[in-house]
Amino acid sequence: MIRFEGVSKSYTALVSRKRVDALADFTLEMARGEVVGIAGPNGAGKSTMISLLMGFLAPTAGQISIDGIAPRRWVERNGVGYLTELVNLPPRWKVPTTMRRMATLSGVPSSRVAAEADGMMARLGLEEHAAKRIKQLSKGNLQRVGLGQALIGDFELIVLDEPTHGLDPLWTQRFREVVAELRRPNRLVLIASHNLDELEMLADRVAILDHGRLQRVVTHATEERSEQHAWRLVLEGEVDVAAAISGASPVAGRAGTWRVVASRRELSASLARLLADGAVLVECVPEQGRLESAFREAVQR
Amino acid sequence: MTRNRSPLRYLPAHSVDVASGPLVLFAAVSGMLCFVLWRMARGEATPFDAAGFIPQVMSVVLTVSVLVASGGGAGGDVANGFYRAWFSKPIAPWWFYLQRWLLGGLAVLCIPLLLGLGLKLVFGGAWGVTNELMAVIALGYLLVGGTVLLASGFTARDWLVTFLLSFAQARINDVMGIMEMTKQDPPAALEWAHRLLPPFHLISPIKGLPEGNDLVHVVAYGAGLVAVALILFVVKPLGSGGRA
Repeated sequence: MIRFEGVSKSYTALVSRKRVDALADFTLEMARGEVVGIAGPNGAGKSTMISLLMGFLAPTAGQISIDGIAPRRWVERNGVGYLTELVNLPPRWKVPTTMRRMATLSGVPSSRVAAEADGMMARLGLEEHAAKRIKQLSKGNLQRVGLGQALIGDFELIVLDEPTHGLDPLWTQRFREVVAELRRPNRLVLIASHNLDELEMLADRVAILDHGRLQRVVTHATEERSEQHAWRLVLEGEVDVAAAISGASPVAGRAGTWRVVASRRELSASLARLLADGAVLVECVPEQGRLESAFREAVQR
Repeated sequence: MTRNRSPLRYLPAHSVDVASGPLVLFAAVSGMLCFVLWRMARGEATPFDAAGFIPQVMSVVLTVSVLVASGGGAGGDVANGFYRAWFSKPIAPWWFYLQRWLLGGLAVLCIPLLLGLGLKLVFGGAWGVTNELMAVIALGYLLVGGTVLLASGFTARDWLVTFLLSFAQARINDVMGIMEMTKQDPPAALEWAHRLLPPFHLISPIKGLPEGNDLVHVVAYGAGLVAVALILFVVKPLGSGGRA
């Protein structure tokens, strides 16, 4: 569906003529049915990549296409459910007006605009804010309005830039459910986020960007093959963990707690032996998220 | 979902914006003007000359009212970041802004109608609005509004750019007039500037429709400005950065 081929985007300062490469030789393909994450530190090029995809910027070099045509033309023809990093909507509009106008722009049939807008407000818990203007909303509520306007047209392409920014934990969880509901065979969902746990939970693949370059694409398959991870293991019982697992070391001051560096396969086999010897497993968690490990490795920080 | 692909689907929302913005302002100012005139003219025996008065008012307010009705379009949306929400939806910027611009023109055309109606209600007698006056105002919108539309492709201060161009052309025109009266040859640079700048000086609700080459000049220049603005919206990406 989406193809970036050797795409670069540079900005040149007007006065100093200093050039900044926001995206450099970026190549990635994404298909319908996928949920793709884009991760990267601040200034990595995530927002530039999305602006190029929406046709709001033109690449300095390379080609971008959606279903074989230029992004701007595709967007004008089909529309995109797009949540911007900074939600900018007219401050004087009321929440229902915003939803109805965005539904109209999205091409929702006029007979269903009111119902769709009200339905989206109910889905995102915005009914209690119906009397408020955009400028009166808190950051979290504004983010929900932004999400609502993005989701209101039932589009084949959904682009969410920092979608949980400003949301409380309850609504962060609700957002994850909403994204899970969005998954369809004919739809591509693209999520750019700093929140690696979120991407790990939601995305099939995560492209890690740094300094405008694609460093790595992490998929569940590559994670499986990754050789070593650090785990925190808590066991009860009279068992010799150090003897059973070669990379295990006790955590000082915490009885029964071990730090283990092993692949998932090795850890599983070792744990099976320990459990067979009478150990009781209390906890086994990755010390870092798997994506976080890959991220740190990719950006070398 | 079956999509409503009508190119006019957002027109009602645009209309509400124009009606609740510039049109309300124009109606309020027209109403106030009629009220003031009514208070001033109480007890006067001579009938009020609406046909002479409305063109005079329009010659004073035309540029400002066009700036109010057409300003802050694309440039404002880009500066505020609204364009990212609008144009992620299936609609082309050129069409979105053309609709808004045309509705702004209708709002400006309502000013003489509102004034005429108000004066007729207050004083009775002639309506005072002629087809020629409406044509001059439409030409004024094409030229001044066309400049605003083109400038909005580059800046949120489209109205200011247009005002400065209009001011510059008016002053150049004054200087050219004085030099003609004193039989002096104007400097070549001044003559070029006079030719290149939009011919705002040819629009006058008091003088009526320009004739001959002047009319062609105004129409061609105005239509050219609008056409270039629309082409710009097609070919020039609206963003200037990842987040901007």
